[in-house]
Amino acid sequence: MVNIFKRMRKLKTLLNVRVGTGAAVFPAAPSATQEFPAITRLHLTYARKIYGGHQGARHFWRNCLPRLKYHNPGIPMTVRQTEDQDGPAALSVYFAQQTSPIAASLAAEDLKDAHAPAPAAHEQVAVLDVRNLPYTEIWNKVKNMTGATEIPATAAETAELRKLDQMAAKSKVDRARIAAKRQAKKDQERMLQEAREQVARLKQL
Amino acid sequence: MSSSSSLTSLLPTAARGLVSSCRSALRPGPGPLASVVSTVSTFQQTRWSSKASFKRVKSQGYKSKKDKPKVKGSKKGNKEFKQHNLKDMEQFALCDAMRYIRAFEVGRQPTVSKYELHIRLKTKRDGPVIRNLLRLPHSISTESRIAVICPPGSKQEKEARDAGAVLVGEQEVFDAVKGGNIPFDRCIAHPDSLEALSKAGLGRFLGPRGLMPSAKTGTVVEDVASRVEMLRGGTTYRERAAVIRLPIGQLGFSPEQLRDNMRIALEQIKKDAVAMNDRIVKEIYEVVLSSTNGPGFSLNGEFKSDNTPDTTGMHGP
Repeated sequence: MVNIFKRMRKLKTLLNVRVGTGAAVFPAAPSATQEFPAITRLHLTYARKIYGGHQGARHFWRNCLPRLKYHNPGIPMTVRQTEDQDGPAALSVYFAQQTSPIAASLAAEDLKDAHAPAPAAHEQVAVLDVRNLPYTEIWNKVKNMTGATEIPATAAETAELRKLDQMAAKSKVDRARIAAKRQAKKDQERMLQEAREQVARLKQL
Repeated sequence: MSSSSSLTSLLPTAARGLVSSCRSALRPGPGPLASVVSTVSTFQQTRWSSKASFKRVKSQGYKSKKDKPKVKGSKKGNKEFKQHNLKDMEQFALCDAMRYIRAFEVGRQPTVSKYELHIRLKTKRDGPVIRNLLRLPHSISTESRIAVICPPGSKQEKEARDAGAVLVGEQEVFDAVKGGNIPFDRCIAHPDSLEALSKAGLGRFLGPRGLMPSAKTGTVVEDVASRVEMLRGGTTYRERAAVIRLPIGQLGFSPEQLRDNMRIALEQIKKDAVAMNDRIVKEIYEVVLSSTNGPGFSLNGEFKSDNTPDTTGMHGP
């Protein structure tokens, strides 16, 4: 098994799942209001390659969905990657009972997401067209239409983030330093090798 | 720097070119080095090419390499695997680890992504290893196709077919394998067919894939049918470098399902460890829960911690 310190260092990435864009809690059944009903499910569909405006959707999956999943462990979130580059990049948000009033204005009415699961009897779907949108904008739209409450990083977490940044900067410097050292050693070894060959050649003469 | 300049002074004039081909970091400055090289006359060249000087250069060049085996030797002298102090490791309750893993695996197919269990043992470097089969209460249902080698027309043949083996018989299996077509990923043999199997010389084809039946791996058995069923629903595991790794559940499993699977797996591994030779002591040292795309979480043995949210919805996608 890998050395314990390496594993600990890797686990520092957990911080990225807890804080950042998309670290927010959706309204659940107890905290739901008329304006912002509870969210029951999310589904994202986009194409495999990024051209045609599918990049933002993929980034949303990579960056925001893990955080959303961490803070809302009970909400099913599914992603479907299609081969259809001209097809839609759509984010379906499933509301309990009815969609929020803001969602109705933001949602694309004519957009049909064939890959999204059919809503249950008590669910209503608002489909966002996320083509050609950067993931931060997608997140802003989602936040506005669902009324999600963002979870700010605690003081300890910001301190740790800063420490990780410092470590990253330090490792960049260290990498350059070690690379120079290794190169110098390699150069010396090669020089000696060439010299040895030279000597051998002269001996043959 | 002083060592490198003394080395360059040993070089013949012809080495000038390669000195300049090196990075400037090696050179203290162009002045002194150039003068050193130019003072070496042609007479000196032949003198320096004598055996003695060659040896000297060689010994300097290989010095670092000579030291290395010593270090390795001391490492090999260590009879046990190195155990890190787990006080340094952050440990998680099962539900917390699952919460993180489900976040890392978001958007993946819940039947495709798997939870994995890595069990670190306290054991010696040499000696026998644990390997066995296991049937979990909640099946991971990896589709495994099984071939059974048994005498044609026997009772076992019919039973194996009923149990769901894809390829049954003697000559059929041999022909398929020799034709380069291996439509199975597990292979079992009945002891009665062992002779025919060794005659057929399949080791060359099956051996590299790890499919060759042998009593050691538990793939030569009397009761073929039950083993087929076991293999279809169960998993095999073995200890490698003091770690047993095995799939333990689908990503869609609830914490309770995963806990049941883990309990059975750990119990069986403890039994395996006890069942070994008296002189061999193996203990479970650390249990790590990981997944197909996620990092590994060292578990602390708790099911829930104080800040675990409601776990009723923690299943499915």
